[in-house]
Amino acid sequence: MKALKHLLLILTVAMVSMMSMASSCEKQPEPEPKPEIKDYNFDLFVCAVKHGGMSKNKNGTYVRSVSALTADQPMVEFTGKGIDITEDFTLESITRGKYYYQVPQRATGGFVKFHIERNAAGEESIVEDAEVPFKDNTFDARKYTHAWIGDSTTLVLVGTDAKHTKIFWTKLAESNLAVQSEGTFNITLPEKYGSFSTSGLLTYRKSDKKLYYFYLTKLAAGISDAATSVTHIAVINPETMAVESDTAVPFDVMEETAGSAYGELMQSMIFYDEADNMYVAGLKTINDQEMGILRRIPVGKTTFDASWNGFPNPEGKLLTVQYLGDGKVLSYSREETLGTKIDSKSHFYSIINLSDCTRSRVKFNGQDLQYCGGRFSQRSAVVNGKAYIGVGGEVEGADEATNPTIYIYDCKTGAVEKGVELSKGFCFDIIRAMEAK
Amino acid sequence: MNFYRRLSFLIALLCFCASLRGQDTIGVWGMLKDTVTLEASAVTAKSKEQTLREGAYAVNAVNINTQAATLQSLTQAIDRTSGIRIREEGGVGSDFDLSINGMGGNSIRYFLDGMPLDAKGSGVTLSNLPVNLIERVEIYKGVIPASFGSDALGGAVNIITSRHRRNYLDFSYGAGSFHTHKADFRAQYTGKRTGLIIRPVVSAHYSKNDYLMRDVKVRNEERTAFIITDLPRFHDGYLSLFGQIEAGFSGRKWADDFFVSASASKVDKEVQTGATQSYVVGMAERKTRSLNLSARYSKRGFLAENLDFSAMASHTWDHSQTIDTTYRRYYWDGTYIEGSYSEIRHRGKTLRNYYRPMTIVRGNFDWHLADNHSLTLNYLLNRTGNRQDDEWDLDYVPTDDVLTKHIIGLAYNQVLFGGRMDNAFFAKDYVNHLEVGQSEFPSTTGAATVEPVSTRNYIGYGLGSRFEIDAHFSLKGSYEHSVRLPVSREVLGNGSTVYPNLALSPEISENFNLGLFGAWDLGGGHVISYEANGFVRLVDNYIQATVSETEGMMQYVNVAAVHIKGVDGEIRYDWAGKLHLGANASYDDCRDQREFNQDGTPSITYRNHTPNRPWAFCNAEAAYTFREVGLPDSRLRIGADYQWVHWFFVTWEAYGSARTKPRIPAQHLVNASLLYSWMGGRYNVSLECTNLLNVLSFDNYMLQKPGRAFFLKFRLFL
Repeated sequence: MKALKHLLLILTVAMVSMMSMASSCEKQPEPEPKPEIKDYNFDLFVCAVKHGGMSKNKNGTYVRSVSALTADQPMVEFTGKGIDITEDFTLESITRGKYYYQVPQRATGGFVKFHIERNAAGEESIVEDAEVPFKDNTFDARKYTHAWIGDSTTLVLVGTDAKHTKIFWTKLAESNLAVQSEGTFNITLPEKYGSFSTSGLLTYRKSDKKLYYFYLTKLAAGISDAATSVTHIAVINPETMAVESDTAVPFDVMEETAGSAYGELMQSMIFYDEADNMYVAGLKTINDQEMGILRRIPVGKTTFDASWNGFPNPEGKLLTVQYLGDGKVLSYSREETLGTKIDSKSHFYSIINLSDCTRSRVKFNGQDLQYCGGRFSQRSAVVNGKAYIGVGGEVEGADEATNPTIYIYDCKTGAVEKGVELSKGFCFDIIRAMEAK
Repeated sequence: MNFYRRLSFLIALLCFCASLRGQDTIGVWGMLKDTVTLEASAVTAKSKEQTLREGAYAVNAVNINTQAATLQSLTQAIDRTSGIRIREEGGVGSDFDLSINGMGGNSIRYFLDGMPLDAKGSGVTLSNLPVNLIERVEIYKGVIPASFGSDALGGAVNIITSRHRRNYLDFSYGAGSFHTHKADFRAQYTGKRTGLIIRPVVSAHYSKNDYLMRDVKVRNEERTAFIITDLPRFHDGYLSLFGQIEAGFSGRKWADDFFVSASASKVDKEVQTGATQSYVVGMAERKTRSLNLSARYSKRGFLAENLDFSAMASHTWDHSQTIDTTYRRYYWDGTYIEGSYSEIRHRGKTLRNYYRPMTIVRGNFDWHLADNHSLTLNYLLNRTGNRQDDEWDLDYVPTDDVLTKHIIGLAYNQVLFGGRMDNAFFAKDYVNHLEVGQSEFPSTTGAATVEPVSTRNYIGYGLGSRFEIDAHFSLKGSYEHSVRLPVSREVLGNGSTVYPNLALSPEISENFNLGLFGAWDLGGGHVISYEANGFVRLVDNYIQATVSETEGMMQYVNVAAVHIKGVDGEIRYDWAGKLHLGANASYDDCRDQREFNQDGTPSITYRNHTPNRPWAFCNAEAAYTFREVGLPDSRLRIGADYQWVHWFFVTWEAYGSARTKPRIPAQHLVNASLLYSWMGGRYNVSLECTNLLNVLSFDNYMLQKPGRAFFLKFRLFL
């Protein structure tokens, strides 16, 4: 009888497991090949004097648009070249196709869609395609997060009010930026906490057709210790914008997401693999130092897999992550011992292997790519199976300074070739791969 | 110490040479005496302005008295002179920046009868001082006489008030476009028995400044799209009230002049825009209240026959308030949306109080060593407190700091070759005493390394010389190793948007001027005069505002160097006091000398022209005066002037494509005026039209200035 009971139990467990696996397999979508952009430009953003990004660079932000970044191209000259976007636009932007979408720096109180054109002489100019005023919800330049839904015909923006005690959202039509609907999430601050993060991070997962909103609850507004913040994951129905679940992330899993004030307008902190597992870069305090961590929400789940960390034994903060395909990720992180200021030459590129959670520095000719300044930079773009990686070139002391240089990483083979150089004198901050037409 | 020895030796040597020369030329002096007298009589015909221009220093002197019946503000008159450029942010009472030979901002110091203008309160500026009060304005370019006790680097503006012996009453009222009203009153009464002189001054200026803003962006009626339209400014009101009473005695045995005065000022300013006009402000305001008590004393032959003495003492209670208590974001039509930051600081709401009590004491000895040799010793104490609190932001920690400056000046002046040569040699000692109460952000502000109480000493020196080659051609040159001590805002911050930098060093500059000038009397009342100056300014430790990494916060830091070279010139023609023609032009080449950035990397802007500043501009004016038109003892003056400013880039040349980068467009402004006065100037009516062609003009990036405006003014002088 006892043996029969055991047999029945084993059979039951086996059946449930098989059903579960079948169910999981059914849910798992076919890996979507990354769409190839046939004709594209690279928009290169530099800042004067200091690195920009997240700090309202008053010294100026300049953009050049080039068709290729390979070594056979002439040096990208910035002295007396490029379009100055400082007064009107922010370095941080949403991009799709050939368009930029943002709440502009100029205080007109609305949303703008524009693209960068290049004339026959190679001179850039900005063409504004749409601009609409805010309706009821108002966003500050740079302080919002976004996601695309409805086959990318609708742009969802999420931000917080002045005191960061309410979280609101607005849906915009991609074509003309018309406000489709807006509202406020039913998320309230827990007791003892004084504010939400400025923007949080919003992402849309195709496999379950849900929006995931990562936000922090903080003791007070402003910069705070990660150890005192709590990260939350709100799962949202994109049709109704109703919050379906809201879960606090345990401290030992993640204290804060890698960024929480400016969405992913500049730095990429969330990616999906072919199976639609979601990966999120974050922070965790180790020996009183905020260090990077890479967590995964497996497909079909809505919370982090606490047992998995793609960024073990961190040297410092993990700043950006970009999926290269086949389980490889390009990361931009910081070596804390080399300096923690925005311009500290302590930032470097690595390739993370998701299958075994190992990583190695990106090398060219057997040498590690040099450390760069730019805490808030996204000097890498992934397009058509290649990762274009920008290395700052700023080294203290005039004689040591080299030109900022692009290195091209082949996502399949792992080979690295040297690309085009940029002229000296500016702080290189962003590469964006944009459709040319 | 070596410097003092060298200076003492130099002065002693000069005195000795001069005394020898004095002995040698006694006979010649005697023989020339008649000639000198004749020349002197010719010289006395010259105006004070002309005499000043012909001194050893590079000076512009502007007679305001003759223009007072038409002028709306002092800035208007000063802006037309050579080498000077005033950039205004908007209409009446707007903030302005005056530059002299390319240097502006805090490197220029302002004086009222030799006393720092700050003593009248922070709300009193060139733009709201009653014009009727002013006799003339002296603008010293680069090199400043030691008698001012000043630490200016780029120049100084000294406003000289009118001094009349007889009793008078002077009243004017003007009204003009954009709801502008200005009333000024001053008078003098001398008690017949007591000899007590009483001089009251009252001034009230008001403007709504509701001039039309062109091509501004607002929402359509449905609020679904933006439209471009023209709309009047709606939150730019300005009210300035100033009152002063001065009482004292003149021409007494014990004093040539002894006066005590009390003045009060009140300035209320609505704020309409931020740094660019896309930042529309609809509620924020700035208010300033000041009260000043002062006394001045002067006596020729003080203690000794050849010793003159003057002294002044002043204390000012100055309270300004910035009201920035809304998160609204306005459109040009006055509608708004709720935003998440305040209008001025773009941060949390504040109602910030600034208390800046200021004590100034000044003493000046002039010792006439011989007829043509004098020694001047000058001392100036300037103590400024800096207390701040916030009525709205209760988390704000109040600050209380003190900045004290002692400036001692010693000058030796000589006149040689029967007046054909003037020389002035001077040295200045600057002592900067800082008492810091604040300790917030020690690593950023330097509070961690700078002692809370510190005293530093700096030396400046220079010389000026003029030589008359012949009646039509004179040469003058001057040099100063000048020091500018940081002002309280630069060292102590402003408690909101500017971090303190307690380790800030003074700016040091080597200033050189070389000029020639002269005049021809062509006979028949035709007189032509001219003046041309070349100048070089080599500035080190240039104090520059930088944006801190923390969002929106600024801090003043020392940067390596800026070099300015330039020329300016002026030519004037006058025919019998009827026809007056004048033109001046200025050009300067200001280049960045920072070869490396702070992190040691090469600076891309090295040797670039400094951006966002006018570098070429000119003025031309013409006026004709008809006499005896209609009423007895009358005159009708018709005048026009033209101002041109070359366009300039807002950012460095190296930044961005020249085709698309922001620039301030060229300005072509024409103003016209009509003045009718009768009964010898007792009654005056004037009509002025500024920006006659109604062109769109900018001084600062995207901040439109007013279009065509009229101003009608009546002045009574009894």
